[in-house]
Amino acid sequence: MDFLIGWIAIIPNYATPLVLASLGLIICERAGILNLGAEGLMAVGAMSAAIAVLFGNDPWAALAVGATAAMALAFLFGVATVVLRADQTLSGLAVVAIGLGLTGVVGRPYVQKTFVGIPNLGDIFALERDTTLGRIVAVQDPITLALPVTVGLLWWWLMRSRSGLRLRAVGENPAAADVAGVDVQIVQLGAVLASGLLCGLAGAYLSVATSHVWVEGMVASRGWVAVALVIFARWNPARALVGALVFGSADALVPRLQAVGADIPVYLMMTLPYLLTLLVLVIGSISGRRSGEPAFLGRIYLRQDKH
Amino acid sequence: MLDAAFLVRRQQPGLFLSALSYAGGLAFGLAISAMLLVQAGVPASALIDEFLVAAFLTSDGLSQTVTAALPLILVGLASAVAMRVRFWNIGVEGQLWLGAVAATWVALHEIGPESLRLPLAFVLAALAGSGWIAISLVLKQRWGVNEVISSLLLGSVAFLLVQHLLFGIWRDPANSFPVTAAFPQASRFSALGWGQLHAGLFVVALIALAVWFLLERTRAGFYADAVGLNRQAALATGLPVRRTLAGLVLLSGALSGLAGMVVVSGTEHRLNQAVGNGYLFSAIVIAYLARAKPFWVVVVALALGAVFTAGNVLKVFYGISEGMIVLVQGTVLISILMAQFFSTYSLNRPS
Repeated sequence: MDFLIGWIAIIPNYATPLVLASLGLIICERAGILNLGAEGLMAVGAMSAAIAVLFGNDPWAALAVGATAAMALAFLFGVATVVLRADQTLSGLAVVAIGLGLTGVVGRPYVQKTFVGIPNLGDIFALERDTTLGRIVAVQDPITLALPVTVGLLWWWLMRSRSGLRLRAVGENPAAADVAGVDVQIVQLGAVLASGLLCGLAGAYLSVATSHVWVEGMVASRGWVAVALVIFARWNPARALVGALVFGSADALVPRLQAVGADIPVYLMMTLPYLLTLLVLVIGSISGRRSGEPAFLGRIYLRQDKH
Repeated sequence: MLDAAFLVRRQQPGLFLSALSYAGGLAFGLAISAMLLVQAGVPASALIDEFLVAAFLTSDGLSQTVTAALPLILVGLASAVAMRVRFWNIGVEGQLWLGAVAATWVALHEIGPESLRLPLAFVLAALAGSGWIAISLVLKQRWGVNEVISSLLLGSVAFLLVQHLLFGIWRDPANSFPVTAAFPQASRFSALGWGQLHAGLFVVALIALAVWFLLERTRAGFYADAVGLNRQAALATGLPVRRTLAGLVLLSGALSGLAGMVVVSGTEHRLNQAVGNGYLFSAIVIAYLARAKPFWVVVVALALGAVFTAGNVLKVFYGISEGMIVLVQGTVLISILMAQFFSTYSLNRPS
């Protein structure tokens, strides 16, 4: 029972960055731009936010710094893919390399320096930590708390609002959107920047809200899991939330088992989230022919190709 | 905005224009990289010293460069072979780890007679690598699972398996680091008496030649290009699309696996946590810069080998961190990708 409570309590912590990053990727890919750069964007967000706190900034301001820094890298990606129509797969991989390399070079003096990050609900409201409910609620943070609302708003915007429809139209049929008067490139550039913002936030969450420290390799493939999560979620924000909770629970299992001193093959257990991701991708593609993938994802639109 | 109206794809970009935009992108990327290095505290004069003089023009440096280039040639070929059929093998590191594990297994458990240890390790490493990519291949061909993600995730799984072995049954008790015991002599490529260079050189040279022959001189290579350029058209023409794709993807995995064997049997002589590090981006950068052409893969891999050699020197003398090489690779890659715009498209006013 004790183990179960401890496990449930930390799942949101593991799920939150995955949700944030996959929301960003959903926006980007709904506009037709395949973004594989999440891992690099998250690394930049995590490091920049940590440095901002270490320089004495408020942790909340640091989140903004992380998001902005990742947006700058996303802008480079946007210029390459949207303006210069470079190959999206390779550009995404280049963004990962730049993000990981940059954080390794710039972040080195700040590695392993702990700091005071975002407080959890227990500290903010001075909650009792004796009851079962108290133990679970106290370790959550305001960002996690705001997450369901954020997902709901984003879902509404994407699926029900006029500008959301425009964005989806660009990803499905840019020629039609173009004729209807939508500026395809502006929409795509905006979507890429949004993915930078949300992936940066996800990375910043890792360093400022969860770990309260920056270490190299901190993102540890979470960006890639987010990329896979988007496919599982069929480009739907609400499903991404569910998926992230599933992966979060698998991810949170190993540290919990270690914490209670269980004798387990740690490294084999750590393969679980990855294998689960693969399994889910397979199930997803078996069960639904209508995978929800934007029709123009990863392709290059030129007016000359219009029919 | 962005003059979308006037942007037209060139029918046949001229050779001169292609070469110019490629060279421009490369030069720009390298210039930015040089600025980053200078920013990080390396004097500009040292850049030329380390990269050109030390890495190519001294005997020690050249032997180091060639040694470093051997696994790079193999992973570059692995990436190039897959790129030819437009299959994104992003799991090069995973296949490399598996190949290294296979070679280590033969070495540590002394499988077979001594004279056959290296050939056996060679075969098993190739099989292990292609077995690992086969998972992504099957997932893609049967269920349409995106190979970028599956091969990458399997890369992480492979590394965790290696960790499991290094912290478990294969750990050398005499060592405080998680490494295996050193390989017996029979499982090492013999030294050639020039720096660290080893007999793996001949193996890699033969493989590179074979891959060049396969891609540029055989029917399979021709099919591969047809599949890569237009799968639908290749299907319609009745080419063996699935078999060509499967064959080249498995070859790609085998080459990565062999890279793992070359590293453990050639230079490290044991399995450790650093064996596969950094090969993923290297493979992609080499294959892309070489336009997936085997001959150019060898050339670019040698150049990158020099970067690694110089990187080691810079690390020691100027405290440049490991991340710098990855950063330089990413910068050069995106710079060339962006520069390609100028040869692929033209700005034409509609008549």
